[in-house]
Amino acid sequence: MIEISNYLTFSAILFGISVAGIFINRKNLIVLLMCIELMLLSINTNFVIFSRSLIDVSGQIFVFFILTVAAAEAAIGLAILVILFRKLNDINTSEINKLKG
Amino acid sequence: MEILKIIFYTFSLISTVSALQVILSKNPVRSVLSLVLCFFSTAVLWMLCESEFLSIVLILVYVGAVMVLFLFVVMMLDIKTSYIKEGFVKYFPLGVSVAFLLVLGIVYSITYNTIISCKTFSAYPENYNNVKILGEVLFTEYLYPFEISGIILLVAMIAAISLTFRGSQKRKSQDVSAQIKVQAKDRVKLVDIKENE
Amino acid sequence: MNIESICIIIVILPLFSSLISGFLGNKIGKKVTHSIAIISVGISFLLSLILIKQFLSGEVKLVNFTIYEWMKINHKLSFEVGFLVDKLTILMISTVCFVSCMVHIYTIGYMETDPGYQRFFCYISAFTFAMLMLVMSNNFLQLFFGWEAVGLISYLLIGFWYQKETAIFANLKAFLVNRVGDFGFLLGIAGILYYFNTLDFLTMFNKIENFMIADNKVYISSGFDVQAINFICIGLFIGAMGKSAQVPLHVWLPDSMEGPTPISALIHAATMVTAGVFMVSRMSPLFENSEFALNFILVTGSITCFFMGLLGVVSNDIKKIVAYSTLSQLGYMVCALGASAYAISMFHLMTHAFFKALLFLGAGSVIIAMHHEQDIRKMGNLKKYMPITYVTMLIGSLSLIGFPFFSGFFSKDLIINAVGASNLPFSNVAYFVVLSSVFITSLYSFRLFFKVFHTEERMDEHTKSHLKECKPVVTVPLILLSIPSLIIGFVTVSSIVGDYFGEAIFVMDKHGAMNVIKEHFHGTIGFGLHGFVSMPFFLAVSGILVSWLFFVKKPYLADNCRKLFNPIYIILDKKYAFDEIYQFVFVGGAKKIGNLLWSIGDRILIDNGLVNGSYKSIDLFSKILRTIQTGYLYHYAFTMIAGFLILLIWLIIH
Repeated sequence: MIEISNYLTFSAILFGISVAGIFINRKNLIVLLMCIELMLLSINTNFVIFSRSLIDVSGQIFVFFILTVAAAEAAIGLAILVILFRKLNDINTSEINKLKG
Repeated sequence: MEILKIIFYTFSLISTVSALQVILSKNPVRSVLSLVLCFFSTAVLWMLCESEFLSIVLILVYVGAVMVLFLFVVMMLDIKTSYIKEGFVKYFPLGVSVAFLLVLGIVYSITYNTIISCKTFSAYPENYNNVKILGEVLFTEYLYPFEISGIILLVAMIAAISLTFRGSQKRKSQDVSAQIKVQAKDRVKLVDIKENE
Repeated sequence: MNIESICIIIVILPLFSSLISGFLGNKIGKKVTHSIAIISVGISFLLSLILIKQFLSGEVKLVNFTIYEWMKINHKLSFEVGFLVDKLTILMISTVCFVSCMVHIYTIGYMETDPGYQRFFCYISAFTFAMLMLVMSNNFLQLFFGWEAVGLISYLLIGFWYQKETAIFANLKAFLVNRVGDFGFLLGIAGILYYFNTLDFLTMFNKIENFMIADNKVYISSGFDVQAINFICIGLFIGAMGKSAQVPLHVWLPDSMEGPTPISALIHAATMVTAGVFMVSRMSPLFENSEFALNFILVTGSITCFFMGLLGVVSNDIKKIVAYSTLSQLGYMVCALGASAYAISMFHLMTHAFFKALLFLGAGSVIIAMHHEQDIRKMGNLKKYMPITYVTMLIGSLSLIGFPFFSGFFSKDLIINAVGASNLPFSNVAYFVVLSSVFITSLYSFRLFFKVFHTEERMDEHTKSHLKECKPVVTVPLILLSIPSLIIGFVTVSSIVGDYFGEAIFVMDKHGAMNVIKEHFHGTIGFGLHGFVSMPFFLAVSGILVSWLFFVKKPYLADNCRKLFNPIYIILDKKYAFDEIYQFVFVGGAKKIGNLLWSIGDRILIDNGLVNGSYKSIDLFSKILRTIQTGYLYHYAFTMIAGFLILLIWLIIH
């Protein structure tokens, strides 16, 4: 039998990979966005696992909503990326510091 | 139950490797495609947890819509790959160490708790229908968040369109309101020219 | 009509006329205003005469009633408006009302061309009201109200011609110096409130015996304490010093001559400046118990009496000479208070009110005739042109120097005898001072008299052609005032020395000056005849002779004297530099402190430190915070992840 901790460990590893990805790919905006999607995926996995183990369907409902929001956020993030690219012709994040305080 | 374990380890391995591929590859298209693979294998894992609805939805919605969108954008933009890999070596140790610490912390807290670490999935009751239960709860208890999520999607759509839409570039029709708004001072400037002796 | 209503009407009528002339004066015109004012004060005076008759005939002994209770604190201490009328009070009431009435009539002539005519009547009627409230009060609250009110009206009247810069300087000076005295007064009242738990006079007098037995002490600082009775009495007397212009709080009185002459007569001769003397007499049960205060009073009085008299000798302004004369006579009254001869002090107060008001109004008449010229070096031989003024001024001056059988003689000689008979340590010096002041008084008053009315004419042709006696409305008050200056001393001295004041004034046996006087007093005429052979008379006559010699016969002697004693002359001319010292120390000091507070406190601490500093510190703080907002996405992500990591580790550890 597969224990819960196995699943949870897998989820943790996915999360860790995405965090590392953020650190490593700080210049590449697209990969940043994809790392965020990875993070969301790992969290979704967590929810599903706990929903299964506690026999509560609320976890899956929440995954539903996270999926929705993730999709919306990806869309808008990509739209912003497109506009940025029109202006700067580059997706190098070190050029994007116009909101510096 | 050996087969379940084999399936689990296989697909979790595929998932992990493709995730690594996402962050480490030089080619952005390759990153996107490996992310798609990661999603697929995670869907299989969800299927293992007996939440079949969500795993299919993951593939349909997430991969089918969101990742395709990513692919579109990556294809559309002309990315100078040389700048991208700048600083890769510089930040590599930091990133790995932070991520390692994070994973270590989480794993420790999972395995430390003996209740969780020994537990396995208990069986579902008879007549358990995932989709049916999901539908029942979604449309009664969580109706309000459900509607709100619809509105969120609407807002996202409007936002994305209003951000990026520039109007047709090749349109040759007249914009009457802009024509009327013109004022003389925008077009004509009186310059005093002195007579030169 | 019972006594209480009479008292209330006496006080209310001047208030009523003041309000009418104040608010409606411009509408009803000058004639109606002055008629209302004079009729009101006149009725008050007549009612006060009725009161005197009732008291003298023995019908009424003491009237003490409360009109209105303002508030009660803790159900014990009540603040109320009430009247205490006894023989001391009626003496003051009749004096105040009479002089006020005379001044009201005189004003019609003096201020007739002045645009502020109705305002003047409003002020002097209000002053009469305030003074009456002061003398008729039966508790300290009302006394203090009257005290402050007369100070306020004095301020308003000194600065009556408010467009004159010197007038404004003078009225501020008067008010501020008065305020300094009031500070001491308030401390005294606070002491009384603390130790007696009441502000009512009669209640307080009853409690004094127990208070003295208890022998309370006031601790001012560690190791330094004073007896409570001394503290209270000195506090009260400091108030009297401010109001009655004793040294060193005397500087406002000469400057107060900036106001019109009628008010100099009313306020700064007859009534307001005597409020201090009245207050001390009223508080005689308190002061008798404090030897220290009595000594202090005696010293102060004698200093004022002597040194202010000297200033009168070198002054050249007709009003200033009479002002210094007032200061000197106030010194006399205060000396008598110190010698525990309260009755005599009040007697001198009354006679002085009459002849000093007469002198001031006479001086005013001269000023009107000379077209507002006030320098006596530019006058002379006015006897030819102004006979009535001449005669009345002569009567006033003779009364002032203490010529036998005039009013001033009785009161002044009694004071001199009282100071001589007193057994306080300073009384010998005080006796010498008071005697020499007789000489000085006669010197300056006849210097004034001779230079103005005799000697050669030193005025210019234009003024001379207009020189004539003033209208009756000016001269009638002079004549009316000269009557009491002549006879009131003669008429009342025996009862004063006898038992007129009775219960109103309390004298302890160990301060036996009054008893000595009573023993030696053998009838009015005897006292008068004895006066012709006494020391003060010789001094006064020699004063007249010396001034005749120096200022009429051989004026060069005066000039030689001045050149010989030039240093003394300079000191006297500068009025002992009191004004300069006060200006330098207090005014200059206050200005410097203000400047310091502005430059450091206001500019640096508040403007730069608080106001500017608040935004600068926010600026600094935000500058530091701004470095967090780099604008780089990965920095934000890094921060988030780092925070999450820290939380996780913390959770694990705990």
